[in-house]
Amino acid sequence: MIAAKHILGTFDESLASLRNNVLMMAGLTQRSLERAMKGLVDRDDDLCANTIADDEEIDQLEKQMDKDGVDILLRFQPVASDLRRVVSAMKLSTNLERMGDQATTIARRARKLNRHPTLSEVELIKPLYEQAMWMFKDAIDAFVREDVDLGCAVVTRDEKLDELNHEASRKLIERMAQDPDQLRGYLNLIFIGRCLERVGDHATNIAEDAVYAAAAQDIRHPSLTATT
Amino acid sequence: MATPEQSVTERMERPAQPSVSAEPAPPKLTFEAKNVSIWYGEKRAIENVSLDIASNAVTAIIGPSGCGKSTFLRALNRMHELVPKTRMDGTVLLHGEDLYSKTVDPAIVRRRVGMIFQKSNPFPTMTIGENVVVGLRLNGVRNQKFLNERLEKSLRMAALWDEVKDDLHKPGTSLSGGQQQRLCIARSLAVEPEVILMDEPCSALDPIATAKIEELIHELKSKYTIVTVTHNMQQAGRISDFTAFMYLGRLIEFGPTTKIFTNPTEKQTEDYITGRFG
Amino acid sequence: MHLGRTHNHTWRKIKSALASGIAFVSAVLVITPLGLVFFYLLFNGASSVNWDFFTKLPAPVGAVGGGMVNAIVGSLELLAIASVIGIPIGVLGGVYLAEYGSARLNSVLRFLADVLNGVPSITWGVVVYGLIVLRFKGFSAYAGGFALALIMIPLILRTTEEVVLLVPNGYREAALALGVSRWKTIVHIVMKTASKGIITGILLALARVGGETAPLLFTAFGNRFWNHSLSQPIAALPLQIFTYAISPYDDWHRQAWAGALVLVSGIFCVNVLVRILTRGRGAPVV
Repeated sequence: MIAAKHILGTFDESLASLRNNVLMMAGLTQRSLERAMKGLVDRDDDLCANTIADDEEIDQLEKQMDKDGVDILLRFQPVASDLRRVVSAMKLSTNLERMGDQATTIARRARKLNRHPTLSEVELIKPLYEQAMWMFKDAIDAFVREDVDLGCAVVTRDEKLDELNHEASRKLIERMAQDPDQLRGYLNLIFIGRCLERVGDHATNIAEDAVYAAAAQDIRHPSLTATT
Repeated sequence: MATPEQSVTERMERPAQPSVSAEPAPPKLTFEAKNVSIWYGEKRAIENVSLDIASNAVTAIIGPSGCGKSTFLRALNRMHELVPKTRMDGTVLLHGEDLYSKTVDPAIVRRRVGMIFQKSNPFPTMTIGENVVVGLRLNGVRNQKFLNERLEKSLRMAALWDEVKDDLHKPGTSLSGGQQQRLCIARSLAVEPEVILMDEPCSALDPIATAKIEELIHELKSKYTIVTVTHNMQQAGRISDFTAFMYLGRLIEFGPTTKIFTNPTEKQTEDYITGRFG
Repeated sequence: MHLGRTHNHTWRKIKSALASGIAFVSAVLVITPLGLVFFYLLFNGASSVNWDFFTKLPAPVGAVGGGMVNAIVGSLELLAIASVIGIPIGVLGGVYLAEYGSARLNSVLRFLADVLNGVPSITWGVVVYGLIVLRFKGFSAYAGGFALALIMIPLILRTTEEVVLLVPNGYREAALALGVSRWKTIVHIVMKTASKGIITGILLALARVGGETAPLLFTAFGNRFWNHSLSQPIAALPLQIFTYAISPYDDWHRQAWAGALVLVSGIFCVNVLVRILTRGRGAPVV
């Protein structure tokens, strides 16, 4: 989407490097979430272990991106769209890192669940996962392609995700009352649901940052009195 | 100052900045330039520029070399007329008065609208003290007491008094570059103008001298209207309230500085300030 | 790495030394005649430069003794008249050329001034003879002074113009930007900055015309006695030297040497003064 090149070649290279890191970190985070979920559904402890181990890489990338971002601000004093892109990229890295942490938490809880017999209620979690991942992918897409409409669309999906989570928790609490032996298992599932709900929140943040980077509009926390 | 006992929310109870979306009251205007075009001989330097300069604020004019920003600046105090064979169309109003009407004496205009140049130019045959009051003396003021008062006042306003108060008899050229520029500012202030125009005032100075001048500009704007031409965009971002971007003699965009530097409307503006030009 | 053959290097050194040698010899050849002149004058004239020379009027023709006091004073009077006429016109003309006027007119004026600078000084004498001496039917100090002024004017005009043009434009702009009117800017800022150069130009012009003989031949004419009215002929040092030198009297020859020595010394002192003045920093100089 960058129309012309900067006269200063090193500036373009630095911005490209930052962008690539965003993509790489998003890819790793996506992979972690997918593996954690697969580890839960397929009862695969190895996948869970890998997810937990690979979080280290995501954490290091966050540090790298923050460092690179500050470096660009220092050296090139970017303005306008360049400034917005750099600031948004730095905020994205924080959100992606938290998402990575959520994946780790899901993996840990999945491991605990795998020690016990299969619970059919795992199925309740699947719609949450799909909604959250849909938001995540589109949010990253919106950032990369600077698509304002897509970003705004992602933000509206958060409400549905909250509903899905609420619904799943409610059903699991019913089951806890009916089947107290499996309490631990149901509790773990509730926590996993909450992790996925948080993944959705982070995806919303990413979408909001994408809209800011693309259009200089701050769509966070719309106040009740402001006109949109 | 906040104490640890206060809660986080209490500490945050500061007067809120006006929200970005609210429109400020229309600022009082010092200059209104309408459809100004200037020719040097056959060559057109400025084409159809209309620009309003707000009072008690700093307006920066940025743009690549040859875009006409210095020419426009000089049109605000009729200094462009010093070049032979200039021609001008359009009007420039200073507080509603036409600067270019036949009855107006350019010297009077320049007393109200002062100018600081890129290369500081204290008069070499005069001492520091004489330099500051030369504008008054040559315009007929003889009262020594009055001149001395004005001398001190101007040097204080230019943040130079403490540095030179014991050296007023030394030649004007004995000061450092940054001090000389502040001396020139004091010299301009002594005739009590309403507006100060600055043509790249810091481009010949080191960073510390530049910072001192920027601080001075910030202090002066409460009493004067300031228009500066600068090549340094970071400086424009730091010191100005409004920014105008000119290119090839035309005014491309004009607006509050924050807007121009975070989200300009015109692509050309964006390309220039992000360094994508050429 | 091989840095070149030493044979080439030696040859280059020889060539360089040769060139330096030739330049040195040339310089010596130029200075030598000047030095010879001065020492010859000193040799011949020093003994005659005495108190009498500076205080006594010329003695009757043929008699020994006397001095050239009237010639010395006469030269000074002529220079004063020339200055009164020539300096204002020259300086103001130079300022006009530098500050005002159209480009075409100015280049014509400059050309004219340069041509006039090259006109042989006797021509001026002839012109003034026709204009003033014939008109008023007599030689006079006025005529002599006027002739000298005519020589001075284009000289001072050009040097003033050059010096004023050297004043950086920044000072003019700074003064104008303070609301100072144009003529005040020129007088108080530009001319003040160029003052050293202008004075230098004036002094050099005075030194030049102080030694002029030819234009005074038919204008001031010379006088063996005190001049009591400016509309009467007046003595001048170069004139007196000329008269004495071509005379048959030895005593007059002696006094001519003295006069020449005094004249050259005077011009020398003026030039030294100019050097001293132009040593200051800050103002642009010629």
